[in-house]
Amino acid sequence: MPGNPIRMLIPQDPSIGQEYIDAMIHKYGLDQPWYVQFATYIWDTFTLDFGESFHYKQPVMDIIKDQLIWTLILVGVSSILMIAIGMAIGVIAAWKHGGPFDTGSLAFSLFFYAMPTFWLSMMLILIFSIELGWFPEGGQLSIGEKLTPFDFNKLADLVDHLVLPAVSLTIGSIAAFSIVMRGSLVDVMTEEYITTARAKGLREGQVLKNHAIPNAMLPMVTLIAMDLAFVVGGAFQTEIVFNYKGIGWATVQATYQKDYPFLQAAFLIIAVAVIAANLIADLLLVYLDPRVKFG
Amino acid sequence: MSFLAEPTREKVRLYVKKMREIWHIFRGNRIGMTGFAILVFFVLMAAFSPQFMWVMSLVSDLGNHPWHTVYTPFEPTGDGVMRDSSWEHWMGTDQLQRDILSRTIYGSRVSLIIGLVASAVSMGLGTLIGLLSGYWGGWRDEVLMRLTDVFLVLPWLVLMIILATLLPGGPSVGKVVFVIGITGWSSTARIVRAQVLSLKERIFIERARAIGSSDFHIVRKHIFPNVFPLVFANAILTVAISILSESTLSFIALGPPPSEVVTWGNILYDASSHNAMINGMYSWIVIPGLCIVFVVLAFTFIGYALDEIFNPKLRKR
Repeated sequence: MPGNPIRMLIPQDPSIGQEYIDAMIHKYGLDQPWYVQFATYIWDTFTLDFGESFHYKQPVMDIIKDQLIWTLILVGVSSILMIAIGMAIGVIAAWKHGGPFDTGSLAFSLFFYAMPTFWLSMMLILIFSIELGWFPEGGQLSIGEKLTPFDFNKLADLVDHLVLPAVSLTIGSIAAFSIVMRGSLVDVMTEEYITTARAKGLREGQVLKNHAIPNAMLPMVTLIAMDLAFVVGGAFQTEIVFNYKGIGWATVQATYQKDYPFLQAAFLIIAVAVIAANLIADLLLVYLDPRVKFG
Repeated sequence: MSFLAEPTREKVRLYVKKMREIWHIFRGNRIGMTGFAILVFFVLMAAFSPQFMWVMSLVSDLGNHPWHTVYTPFEPTGDGVMRDSSWEHWMGTDQLQRDILSRTIYGSRVSLIIGLVASAVSMGLGTLIGLLSGYWGGWRDEVLMRLTDVFLVLPWLVLMIILATLLPGGPSVGKVVFVIGITGWSSTARIVRAQVLSLKERIFIERARAIGSSDFHIVRKHIFPNVFPLVFANAILTVAISILSESTLSFIALGPPPSEVVTWGNILYDASSHNAMINGMYSWIVIPGLCIVFVVLAFTFIGYALDEIFNPKLRKR
């Protein structure tokens, strides 16, 4: 990290005496040898104590806890949507492959894939909030409202605010799923067990539903986890444009305020979450696909 | 080319012949050619930005705008505040009264250069790590691949934001290139390694080793030329991602300095931080954004086409 952290904490004022600076150095444990500092850091990380945010002057963990839920809502809803829509498009494209739907859906998904997510968000605000006035321009709830469970009026408000961010996050990532699903299904359709299923006299819909799709889904499991890294990046951009105060919004604010404890904690939490998702996907694949073995 | 030695000449001839063949296949690919046409347009725009602006002001002349005033991206024009689009300023002027049209046109320069250089950096790094890892094998392969996994799994945008904030020094083009390059090499390393692993077992490598070629010679003369086409197709796709990354970084004010360099991302950052949407200056947002979309699309299309050409598995799609 560039710069002396103590300099960030105290105002640049010559009248501040050396005793105060020494007191600060002692308070943050900077007078300890490096291995003691490092051990303290490791211990604090495992006890989820990331220290105090420079900007909010509160424990970092308390702030992140409030914001994490919003990001989870956004990423969760969009992930479900993008997986469902992407797979549906992929299945239809593979089923009628070479046809107009195949080409059309590829062009459609690549076009949105090429869009910077932040710009797509701006376009959605421009069209659906400013011009048409259908949805609010930003935020996660109406001003002054707070999240409480099981309150249906608030739920409507939440959904109202969630539609545009979720759509913008979803549309950009559909391509990743639809293209892979299509490719995988086209491959599976050339397998011999599909010919066998057809020879048994099953109708085409049954072959697709019971024999082809379950096998074509296997690469999707890995992809969903791998793509999470990409979705998190998209969520950051969406949150900034929509002023949706999740962890992505807060992280970008923290870069402006040079709030290092916050950045450190946010990055660690996101990285751990994404790596955990990948681990779960790998384990799940071993369970789902007997051909995959440990090691 | 008489000054070239005979074998060199022969090599050049073969190289040109091969390039011709590839171009011939590429020309038949509709998606690839569409991408190529879009790219040519933007490259011309970047190379001849002043001339583009000059033509525009000639057209503006019809709307009572003096034809000899050609706007440049950094020069404040006229008086007052931000203006909406008019004959004088097709896309309006920004918060410092700079002509947004000229900013958009000149913006293609840095956006393209950053995209190309950053992807060259990440391709170089990825190819090097993939070659070494695949050729060495053993524990060194293991170490390099675990490192690759880390970069593959971590959310790249988050990593870029953290790196751009923590690296010393103010914002600069070099820093953006470094940040994009260092976060984007992992998938290339994977692809190259897989290719090297299968090449390593081929007879011609064994033959080269039997006549006493050094490892360096084998990697350089026999393995690298065989992985290059795949790397190249992948590099084109990476350019698209690098351009997207640059615009995103610029949009959250972590890109190149807006006072010295104009990129499409910088223009969009200015637009959003000066409420272009609420003021109804839609062209300020829409057009630079569309430029990004089309350039990214162009590279994606070309990359897909090249992938189809170089990857025989996909050729009959």
